[in-house]
Amino acid sequence: MSPAAALRAALAVEMLKLRRSVVARLATVLLVVLVPLGSVGMVALARSPQAGGPTAAKLADYATGDLTTMHLMVCAQVLSIAALAAGGFFVAWSFGRELESGTAGALFGLAVPRGTIALAKCLVTLAWIGACVVLTVAVTMAASAAVAAGSGVGFRAWGGVGTALVAGLLGGGLALPFAWVATVTRSQLGTVGALVGVVALTQIVVLLGGGTWFPYASPSLWTGMGGPDAAAVVGPPHLLLAAAVSPLAIGAVVHAWRRLTNV
Amino acid sequence: MTALVLDDVSHAFGGRVALDHLTLTVRPGRVTALIGLNGAGKTTALRALAGRLRPAGGTARVLGHDPADLPADVATRFGHLVGTPLVYPELTVTENLRCAARLHGQSVRAAAPGTSAAVAHMGLDPWRHARARTLSMGNHQRLGIGCATLHRPTALILDEPTSALDPQGVVLVRKLVRGMADDGAAVLVSSHHLDEVARIADEIVVLHAGRDVGRLEPGGTDLEQRFFTMVLDADTRAADTRGRV
Repeated sequence: MSPAAALRAALAVEMLKLRRSVVARLATVLLVVLVPLGSVGMVALARSPQAGGPTAAKLADYATGDLTTMHLMVCAQVLSIAALAAGGFFVAWSFGRELESGTAGALFGLAVPRGTIALAKCLVTLAWIGACVVLTVAVTMAASAAVAAGSGVGFRAWGGVGTALVAGLLGGGLALPFAWVATVTRSQLGTVGALVGVVALTQIVVLLGGGTWFPYASPSLWTGMGGPDAAAVVGPPHLLLAAAVSPLAIGAVVHAWRRLTNV
Repeated sequence: MTALVLDDVSHAFGGRVALDHLTLTVRPGRVTALIGLNGAGKTTALRALAGRLRPAGGTARVLGHDPADLPADVATRFGHLVGTPLVYPELTVTENLRCAARLHGQSVRAAAPGTSAAVAHMGLDPWRHARARTLSMGNHQRLGIGCATLHRPTALILDEPTSALDPQGVVLVRKLVRGMADDGAAVLVSSHHLDEVARIADEIVVLHAGRDVGRLEPGGTDLEQRFFTMVLDADTRAADTRGRV
């Protein structure tokens, strides 16, 4: 069996498991429905005459400017975290449950090597989260167009589409190190705990003003979550560093699955 | 050539010895049964042979290769079911078998008839579209055996393959194992069921405290008595050795 044939077989198996996965189904619905609704809803709230107090202050950035641009900005900000969370939960399930339930032991001695199976899991995760991000942005655009009632999507909004897509894809890619965590801890809940810990750590790093070079903070800062000043200092090198995390994680996970023992 | 080999294998979990210089070989066309009390080291031996555990000492070989890193062409001739089977609860019986076929190296075209044949052989036709999570324990075990054997391996390891099966399932597995051995496969089976072992095995290895304490002839009606005598003798010898030290 050639390496390409082995990868094709592993991809087919992992795709089928993805399609049957309750975690993936729930995460898909939450991303594709809740993120667009939240994006449109938050801008509507910011522009509502009823908005007041701390809510109005928090949403002040969304209260003015082109409507579609604002919808996509909120979408980008939410997606940069939501894609990480969805991807993190999925890899916790995809990798962790094999080791928790013992099916990882049955993956030894197969014509398709364990490293290839791990690679297929990572690729399927990336493809799924990428599709979710594209769909989420598309639904947000459609919802925005419906709300804007025919005003159309202008040039600036197309820039917002790109930002939302990049932020979502970077967030999804940042989930892959948790596949390694799941492999090492052999625990789904342990992996989710690590995910929560990294999100909390990101908050601390951002509060201390060091988020620019922190891969888990830079995509969100770039979308304007930390305000326009923080967004202005995030450039391509910082985003490239965040983008480099997923290939490095894939390498680490494949190596860990090749070396797996005592299963 | 011996198909399955454990050569002077030792392993401990913490301070507890699981395998103590165990040497075991299974030749093609033979069914070797590994019997012993709970904690005797049967499953640890099978895990080492499946490549799932790197023993602290000694070597394991499957068809002449390190089981932890089998070449693809060798892996297509190897099957094992030790502990949790290659069965995913969210997939149907047919989907699980098809996935197993693909992971055992079969093409999409070959996997379809192989899957249908396995469904029929394992008596799972009424449940072919049922999710694995809905199966009874016995049918789940049948599915696991089907996933481990549908590629007709020439070296096969089965850990307690009949533990949850009804009498019909036991007969089915007995025929499967015997049939594969008659076709030239080397089969290593661990079991608590001495009567069952006596029916299918060509050779019975008694494992106690991680050591090979002797062989039993499969025939005869007093297998249980001979087993306990052998285990008791092993304990007595071990106590004498400790006393001398």
